[in-house]
Amino acid sequence: MTVNILKHSLVELDARNRAKSILDEGTFRELLDPFAEIESPHLEGQGIVPQSDDGVVIAKGKISEQEALVISIEASFQGGGIGEVSGAKIAGALELALQDNINGNQVFPVLLFDTGGVRLQEANYGLLSIAEIGSAIVALRNYVPVVGLIPGKIGAFGGMSITAGLCSTLIMTKEGRIGLNGPEVIEQEAGIEELDSQDRQRIWKTIGGEQRVATGMAERLVEDDISSIKDAIQNALATGNNVLPRSRQVEQFCHLLSAVDPKEDINPYDVRKSWNRIVEGEKFIRKNSSDLPVEGEDGRGLTWFKALTGIKEAAQREIPSVLCADQKTGDVNTRFIAVVPDSNSKYPRSRNGEIGLEQGWIIAKYIHEAIEEDKNREKRAIVAIVDVPSQAYGYKEELLGLHQACAAAVDAYATARMAGHPVISLIVGNAISGAFLSHGMQANRLLAFNDDSVNVHVMSKQSAARITRRTIAELEEATKKVPAMAYDVQSFSRLGALHELIEGVDFDQPDQKDINLVMDKVNEAIYDAKNSNRDIANRLKSPEAVGGGRTASIKVREKLKELW
Amino acid sequence: METLTYEFPASKTLSRQAHVGVVGSGDLEILLEPSSEARTKIIIRTGSQGFEKTWEAVLSRFFTQHDFAANIKINDFGATPGVVSLRLAQALEVSQHDSQHIKA
Repeated sequence: MTVNILKHSLVELDARNRAKSILDEGTFRELLDPFAEIESPHLEGQGIVPQSDDGVVIAKGKISEQEALVISIEASFQGGGIGEVSGAKIAGALELALQDNINGNQVFPVLLFDTGGVRLQEANYGLLSIAEIGSAIVALRNYVPVVGLIPGKIGAFGGMSITAGLCSTLIMTKEGRIGLNGPEVIEQEAGIEELDSQDRQRIWKTIGGEQRVATGMAERLVEDDISSIKDAIQNALATGNNVLPRSRQVEQFCHLLSAVDPKEDINPYDVRKSWNRIVEGEKFIRKNSSDLPVEGEDGRGLTWFKALTGIKEAAQREIPSVLCADQKTGDVNTRFIAVVPDSNSKYPRSRNGEIGLEQGWIIAKYIHEAIEEDKNREKRAIVAIVDVPSQAYGYKEELLGLHQACAAAVDAYATARMAGHPVISLIVGNAISGAFLSHGMQANRLLAFNDDSVNVHVMSKQSAARITRRTIAELEEATKKVPAMAYDVQSFSRLGALHELIEGVDFDQPDQKDINLVMDKVNEAIYDAKNSNRDIANRLKSPEAVGGGRTASIKVREKLKELW
Repeated sequence: METLTYEFPASKTLSRQAHVGVVGSGDLEILLEPSSEARTKIIIRTGSQGFEKTWEAVLSRFFTQHDFAANIKINDFGATPGVVSLRLAQALEVSQHDSQHIKA
């Protein structure tokens, strides 16, 4: 019962009624409703009771008499986690909306986020889905604004915070939160000195709606009141695509990073003040003096960057941990980008090759630079050399919007691919979680080394075990039943997203023959990408995907199309 | 996780299907579809094992008081007997009214 007769809370509603309340009265039409009973096929085997809609409501209807698609996530079911079915519902619906918009029938997508990110029990399915969702949003933004709403109570975390970071307009309540790593995850990964996840006041001051709107990471702050929220959505739709999306504001956010010193304590108000100065036109220039060039910090990423570019000492351009060089791959101009460790980084949480704030924005910068330079000529290929252990887990990272830095990288890779740059991802080491989403997952073609030290996953085994309340032994048992939960690259390849597994090469100390072989594979992938579509739907069409790796992802899309 | 099934005799028919609840902590989801057979069949999937007796008691009490023929699916996430009865009553109410879904 509503106590305050002047307000109608949206937060208090379930996902279905949230969607209903945003649409014009009587226009709500649900696709794949509970009675369609397309539930997750992966949960029962793990002893978890599925939900008939897998926690996502897809609704068509009207907003201010315009065709709209509302996607609403149910936080009460598995923390709003994205699994294969829920992920395919979101991606599939956005893909259909994109098709309509391409055909000249305007459909406005609105996403209601209330999610912890990837559902750990379906791990890599969530990862693949979130990449597909991101790709669809970037494509949709060329036609219509994509509006995101974070009403609370969970907020938007994990890979889905990156998704929210791609939206044209993000509307939040004070209660809503957005961040790549949730407070509990940071406490777990980085210790309680980094962040006390029980300190609610500090958390909301850091990642809550008010702070995010004040620092350029969301556009509108609204009361938890249905009519105010509807107004804000209508307003965002009316504004259209006149504003540069947040995930493209590379320059401004690089200024923000330069404006603060991560070696000092940074409080949320300082960030607001710096952001205001940037909005008013002030520029902050990065001081490079504290960073030394990469020296002797070998790792797969650096080894293969050097091998493929022929560069012995990579010249530093922006930061030592993001390497970028242009080189020919066979006869094709290619930009190679690698993220490598930098033990001198002023961000201690991203010294081991993690994707942190600087890495995300600088990757975006290098890619947009290539897009801009090649605007009126042959588009060079872009090769992401992937060896990323994780995203950076830290308080300052979240305060300064790590999810937005990741969204910028996702946006850049997806934009390059859609502009006609063949984008290839070469997985030489680890490809984990938000780091992989940002650096690698938007490629036309994914290549990976067939090697035991190549891992593809969403979270370290220790953390995943703790969060799903299993022992590591139980977790490993579960991964045998669900290949999407396994860590090894062979299991990942069974999901059908890989173009090729590369074998017969010395992965750690390659000689010229090895390098030539990998170069040929990359070159072949570039040509394959050049001659096919610019989306990533090929991942659903591979023999592995069709033969069982992505059964539910494909079925959900077919059913959605029938009902659309 | 375990699956339980129950059946009760029924005579009255319902007009429409109903969906209530969510598979969230302490709650459950009910999918109710009218049946033309003279019985109500219930399939329960629950994450809490070893409560067959409790389910039986809660359900027989409910279906002694309410007579309707339906196929019911329950996805349970540790709902207490009180919540189960409430959600069942809610599902019944929805299936007799004009709206398919009801506020959580």
